[in-house]
Amino acid sequence: MSALKESRLWRILTSPSRMMITVSAVIILISVVRQFTGINDITSPGATGATIRFTIPLLMAGLGGLWAERSGVINIGLEGMMILGTWFGAWFGYLYGPWVGIFAGAVGGALAGLLHAILTVRVGIDQAVSGLAINLLGAGTARFLSGVFFIGAGGDVNVSPQVKSIGSFTIPGLSPFLTHLGEKHILVVSDVAGVLAGFVTSINWASLFMFLALPITSWILWKTRFGLRMRFCGENPVAAESLGVNVYRTRYIALAVSGALAGLGGAYISVVVTGNYLEGQTAGRGYIGLAAVIFGNWQPAGVLAGSLLFGLTDALRVRQSTSVHALLLVVIALAAVYGISKLRKKDWKGFSINIGIAGVVLAYYLINKVVPDEFVTFFPNLTTILVLAFLSQRLRPPAMAGAPYRKGEES
Amino acid sequence: MQKKNLGRALAGAVAASLALSVVTLTGSAASAAPKKMVGIAFDLGGKEQPGFNQLAYIGFKAFLKKHPGWVEKDLQGNAADTDASRAQRLKLLIAAGANPVVVVGYSYENALKTVAKANPRVKFAIVDDNIAGAKNVEGLLFKAEQGSYLVGAAAALTSKTKSVGFIGGVNIPLIQAFEAGFKAGVAKIDSTIKYQSAYASNPPDFSGFNAPDKGHESALGMFQNGADVVYSAAGSTGQGAHKAASEQKKWSIGVDADEALYASNAPYKSAILTSALKNVDVGVASFLNDVVANKFKPDAHLFDATNGGVGFTTTGNYLPADVVAKVKALLKQIASGAIVVPTDPTTVALPQG
Repeated sequence: MSALKESRLWRILTSPSRMMITVSAVIILISVVRQFTGINDITSPGATGATIRFTIPLLMAGLGGLWAERSGVINIGLEGMMILGTWFGAWFGYLYGPWVGIFAGAVGGALAGLLHAILTVRVGIDQAVSGLAINLLGAGTARFLSGVFFIGAGGDVNVSPQVKSIGSFTIPGLSPFLTHLGEKHILVVSDVAGVLAGFVTSINWASLFMFLALPITSWILWKTRFGLRMRFCGENPVAAESLGVNVYRTRYIALAVSGALAGLGGAYISVVVTGNYLEGQTAGRGYIGLAAVIFGNWQPAGVLAGSLLFGLTDALRVRQSTSVHALLLVVIALAAVYGISKLRKKDWKGFSINIGIAGVVLAYYLINKVVPDEFVTFFPNLTTILVLAFLSQRLRPPAMAGAPYRKGEES
Repeated sequence: MQKKNLGRALAGAVAASLALSVVTLTGSAASAAPKKMVGIAFDLGGKEQPGFNQLAYIGFKAFLKKHPGWVEKDLQGNAADTDASRAQRLKLLIAAGANPVVVVGYSYENALKTVAKANPRVKFAIVDDNIAGAKNVEGLLFKAEQGSYLVGAAAALTSKTKSVGFIGGVNIPLIQAFEAGFKAGVAKIDSTIKYQSAYASNPPDFSGFNAPDKGHESALGMFQNGADVVYSAAGSTGQGAHKAASEQKKWSIGVDADEALYASNAPYKSAILTSALKNVDVGVASFLNDVVANKFKPDAHLFDATNGGVGFTTTGNYLPADVVAKVKALLKQIASGAIVVPTDPTTVALPQG
């Protein structure tokens, strides 16, 4: 722990000015790589837009996980809640328009969240077991309901009829200007412009609406009385109860919100992204949301970072496989620079390890034209495992998340 | 004596009425006897959902229409299927009296192996697969790469930016054959055309056949990187590519069936240039007709350019007449064997787009 606190990484992560310098350096590095390889998609507005669309559902699931775990209940049922979100979103979206659909998705998820609350808080079932049950229940309920409602309406047991699309907005003036600048391929300037253009070009209203959940979560959990009490329930429910906090009620609310957020993420997929419900379209995003919570150290900004890691990987991978290959050069440069910096302290071992890594990756880069798709898909999962393995000392989950709690009993 | 006679008469009457009732019973039994039943087990996706399930069902229904003496029984797959649950589904069909049975999708391979062995009198057909050595299974195999070759040529002839893209559902040899055919068709027209490709998922993750979001982003990426025609061999994932094409005013190409006719693709119909046909319906109908005509032959049955197994569509007339003529000429060349379509995409070279 103390070694970590003295490390360069720690100092960078804890100082805003150092953080700025590091981020700028990485931007310049990526820019140089883009210029050198000619793979312009890395910092294009399109890649940014795709990243946003892949990230939002994960972010919503992650925030849902955050709400649950901060209140002291592990929520493995996020996937099932998302599935209900996709179903309710698509069906009510088909009937009453996309915005009603999104709201219905939240309601569907919240109902499953409340069920999780009843099972774990009131009945006292093991939280993991209840979560798994909700995943199975979510998938089964959606299929059953599809059979009842979709078949007569032009769908089938696993697909809903089409939902009208939600409009998107482009900031006039700014978007064309930035896009134009991005297409000039000027070092650094075009990269920043290209990425920024992605944030102002055909952004879906629903994306904006959902993203607001992040600052709102942050504000509620850290700036309001309710948030303080909720986090208290996650850290020490017995003490919270003794000080007059209604732990049961707090957890009920937190789990309903957790389910609603996951449901919103599901509705985003079915209503906004694909325009209809498809069985299995959540494809495990609920679990990835949980991974993002761990990756993000149970902090909203961290959850965003975790979701971005997965979202960005997916976006780059499905758009142009060569992008990921080009990013290897960034890895090589980082390893080399870090290795050389070790020389100052005459740390020969650190120097040779890092230069070795750079050399191996460089050799790989030169020999192969693409990074195997299998590895790219697995990369964010690998990163999460590495974070768990090497930074587990620094991770701080809510102390009593997952522990059974009965009112009036010392646990 | 009289009494005896009376008794005989009574006995005779009872016997006669019994016999009569037996006759009427058998008579009614004959008229209420189950009709000959033909069964079909679907893969994940739903029989009314566009794709090879629906195509198989179309062939199946065409047979039923021609043979009114037959009734049908169908069972649908679901996402949680295992070999055991698939085998159970086949046994249910057989228990209901279905013979022959159509099995849709190679995912049934293991289930069918055991069920076919245990029920030697039932005749099966399996789509996209073959069970070598089984005496009662016909494997309906399609040269999908040939249909992809045709739309590859159509894409190359249509592309104004001289750049095309391919989206595969899952990175498995079955789908790689589609890519190889498409790529070869493009290269046949112009080997300087730029080419991009992406797969939505990698095995054992099969979500790539069911991920319109990934299809949408993939196609958007390809369009934004210069392509103006994208071909998706990816099940429902292709729907996302059609959406992207209609948003970007570019072209998208469908697969398996005429995707321009799908209800779920209705909003994007005007962006669907053509579809590569893999006529599963032809295969299914051929199997059923063979069984009825006592011409059933086990083992692999290949459907390709020579017997209407593959093709392409012109719905919407977005392909100009000269392009259609050229592609039809290629279809003839494939049928005659003058063109051999590859199944490995790495054997065809096109510049990276």
